[in-house]
Amino acid sequence: MKKYFSRREWLAGTGAAAGYLLTRPSLSFAADQLATPAPRLIARAPAGRVTVGKCKDYGSNLVPALEKMFDQLGGLSRLVKGKTVAMKVNFIGVRWERLGNAPMEETFWSHPKMIGAVVHLLGKAQARRIRVLEGPWSTAETLEEVMLSQGWKPEDILSAAPNVEFENTNYLGRGKKYSRFMVPGGGWVFPGYDLNHSYEDCDVFVSCGKLKEHAAVGVTLSMKNIYGTTPVTIYGEGAGIDEPAIRPQGGRGGVFHFARRAPSKSAPQQIDPNFSKDQGVRLPHIVAELNAARPAHLAIIDGIRTATGAETNYGNRPQAAVNPGVIIAGTNTVATDAVAMSVMGFNPLADRGTAPFANCDSTLRLGEELGVGLRDLNQNEVTGVPIAEARFDFAAIREKILRETQKS
Amino acid sequence: MAGPLDIARRQKEKSFTPEIAGTIRQWLDPSLLALVQGTPVNCLVVSWASGLPADAEQQQALKPLLEKGRQAGLDFVGLIEAAADKPAAIAAARAAGLSAVAMETIPAGDAGIPIIAWAKSGEALWSANSPILGVADGIWPGVPQEKAPTGGPTNLPWVDSNGALLGMTRALTPDKDVWIFVEPPTKAKLTVANYLLTVADAEAYGGHWVISLDDQMRAGLAAKSAQTAADWKKITDAVAFFGQNKTVRTYERMGRLAVMSNFAEPDRAFGEDTLNMFPRLREPFRVISRTQALTASLDGLQGIFFVDQVAPEPKLREKLTAFVKGGGTLFVRSTWPNPEGSPMQLSSEEDYLYFNIRQFGKGRLAVAKEENPDTYFACMDVQNIMSHRGDPARLYNGASMNYFYQVSPRGRQGVIHVLNYSRLPGSANALIYLKAPYRAASFVSPEIASPVALKWSPLTSAYETGGAELSLPLISVYGAVRMET
Repeated sequence: MKKYFSRREWLAGTGAAAGYLLTRPSLSFAADQLATPAPRLIARAPAGRVTVGKCKDYGSNLVPALEKMFDQLGGLSRLVKGKTVAMKVNFIGVRWERLGNAPMEETFWSHPKMIGAVVHLLGKAQARRIRVLEGPWSTAETLEEVMLSQGWKPEDILSAAPNVEFENTNYLGRGKKYSRFMVPGGGWVFPGYDLNHSYEDCDVFVSCGKLKEHAAVGVTLSMKNIYGTTPVTIYGEGAGIDEPAIRPQGGRGGVFHFARRAPSKSAPQQIDPNFSKDQGVRLPHIVAELNAARPAHLAIIDGIRTATGAETNYGNRPQAAVNPGVIIAGTNTVATDAVAMSVMGFNPLADRGTAPFANCDSTLRLGEELGVGLRDLNQNEVTGVPIAEARFDFAAIREKILRETQKS
Repeated sequence: MAGPLDIARRQKEKSFTPEIAGTIRQWLDPSLLALVQGTPVNCLVVSWASGLPADAEQQQALKPLLEKGRQAGLDFVGLIEAAADKPAAIAAARAAGLSAVAMETIPAGDAGIPIIAWAKSGEALWSANSPILGVADGIWPGVPQEKAPTGGPTNLPWVDSNGALLGMTRALTPDKDVWIFVEPPTKAKLTVANYLLTVADAEAYGGHWVISLDDQMRAGLAAKSAQTAADWKKITDAVAFFGQNKTVRTYERMGRLAVMSNFAEPDRAFGEDTLNMFPRLREPFRVISRTQALTASLDGLQGIFFVDQVAPEPKLREKLTAFVKGGGTLFVRSTWPNPEGSPMQLSSEEDYLYFNIRQFGKGRLAVAKEENPDTYFACMDVQNIMSHRGDPARLYNGASMNYFYQVSPRGRQGVIHVLNYSRLPGSANALIYLKAPYRAASFVSPEIASPVALKWSPLTSAYETGGAELSLPLISVYGAVRMET
């Protein structure tokens, strides 16, 4: 197992994916060819470099643990020095719905200490500007306000490095117009997506997700985190019909999960109106498309404290707040998620019909087909703590809760 | 609802059946008065006159019930509808020994019998010379269309509540008793929990629901069904619970924000919507009527939302601008003449979508950009401008719940009312966060026999200083946290 990577290797790993931004195929290429979700290899995906670290809590060991992991990936400064870095974090769902007494950051949300630690290290690596991004549920509030509503201190993140900014990307935000990202090969569901300017106005894009299972797509890691880049002013239930709405309103279920409505007409429309309305088909394809259209240069998955069972509080699912004490980071989202799945006790090569994809397609397989990365661990370079030592069996926790529920 | 007049009225309904007519007739049976014996129910409201031919028959048919009820110490109030021959109806009520009548317009002069104002909420009702106000346009509380839940604009499910209606009425007429009239929906299959919620929704917000039962429940009670009798006992026990805890009616609503209005046209709808929206945004607030604003204390307030389009009279404007000068934030409509202060330079993200911000003294004047902004978005901007920094209270894990916070006149006691509007089983126990926790806290509810002591948990994330949380027992319908310094 290779421990460190050279600058050339690092850039090769990230550049392959980023290259798609420069070679977007035209809409006409896609529209007539990719109307159904037939598997097809768009491009040979690059091998990724992924590292696994252990860290029991969000205390003083966190920054050294992350720093070591980034070094194992070739060093953060090679990627971010002098650059504008955009980091998409995860504030999923209705903020007032916690898992029991556990705060959001210890179950479903990115932890502020994790965000702060990464920001600090990006600053230390001489990033010119660091922008923390998220489209929190159905609100135009600033991210500071969302953090304050959970009792966080946003100042801690803003002061973790020079030139740190937040932007709520659920709407136009500080931009003058939305940025269009086309899917390499034309896409299966949508040929492209209109996103907040922040995802274009950056040199380096980081997906900072959480280690979780997902009710509709099996797992939600660094790939699914990018789904939250889509502004609900265009893709939400309250989106404008012709043009984007001014204010975010509603979730994305109507457009993306169930095709109950179309995005605002100003954005690229669904390629085939008859494309499956099954969210187990739609969402994996859409998530893969987004990862290909706006690839991340660095994926980070916070598995120090998280929740099993689902991505947010469903109330009726076997869920628990847990402490796997693990962090996974890598150079592309597919490879990073593959390692994360293995840490969670799942086979990253699993597909529809096998856990965690019992009722859905594999987002990882689709991402691989779109050239984002490879899900076979043997085709990626995996370093850091051996996966076996970091493993935290999510399915076992779920089964244990079910057994206890049945007993009671 | 009992007697020939109610049958005549109900006969127009498509779903009316001979069985329903039988139940309505049976409901006149004086022996059924045993149902209210030993309960807090001390007054019965009966249909008295509505301008239909059945009026006289109704008044005649009620006689045995009235006689036995009076012997049992019960009061009777007769409803006189707009189309009725009012002088005749009042005279008949007097002769029949009713304790009072309720009608929309109170006639001038001495009617020889107390008259209760009973009308749709609005300026006419609120200004009526009546110690009791009967609000005729209450709504049946709950989560509408719960079988196919949809998110409201807040993405928490929308809830129907009489909280806004009572909030307006109590602010405008603090010294009057408020009765809410709302009939159970005829198409829904109701459980006792629906009734308990209707009692709690009225009582918690300072009113009383004039209990009205659906046909099925009345038939069950008339038939002496043990299950229905048990359900009826739960309803009267809930009424008793609120009677035993009526001290909290003297408490003031607590919040860092106040909504100020007279809720008169043309601002009635916007004002009422505002009172509906803030609970769904989890923002505790006070309601101050404009007519009483000059004497109202603004202590503890960080913001005031003056929702009326009509500018305040000079003295009130002076008081409000002094509040801003001292550091508060005043939110006003776009019609506010000659706004004080100067525009604040904000970044594009801070440039709020619905309000322009002006600096004035130590505080801010927020002027709505549009003449008729969307209420939800306007309220959301108000909350955003106020900031969550220093939220006095928060509720977690209660998507279908509303809460409000009251403090005793000297501030030594506090109470947080929590109402669950969903009839689906609760998923997780609610959590209450308080910025300034009291020394002791206990949980009371009609659903439990005795108070449960609650333990404060300091925030586990420990980012915010000073706050603590309380984990509440499962709340099916209503519970309250009582706190003491």
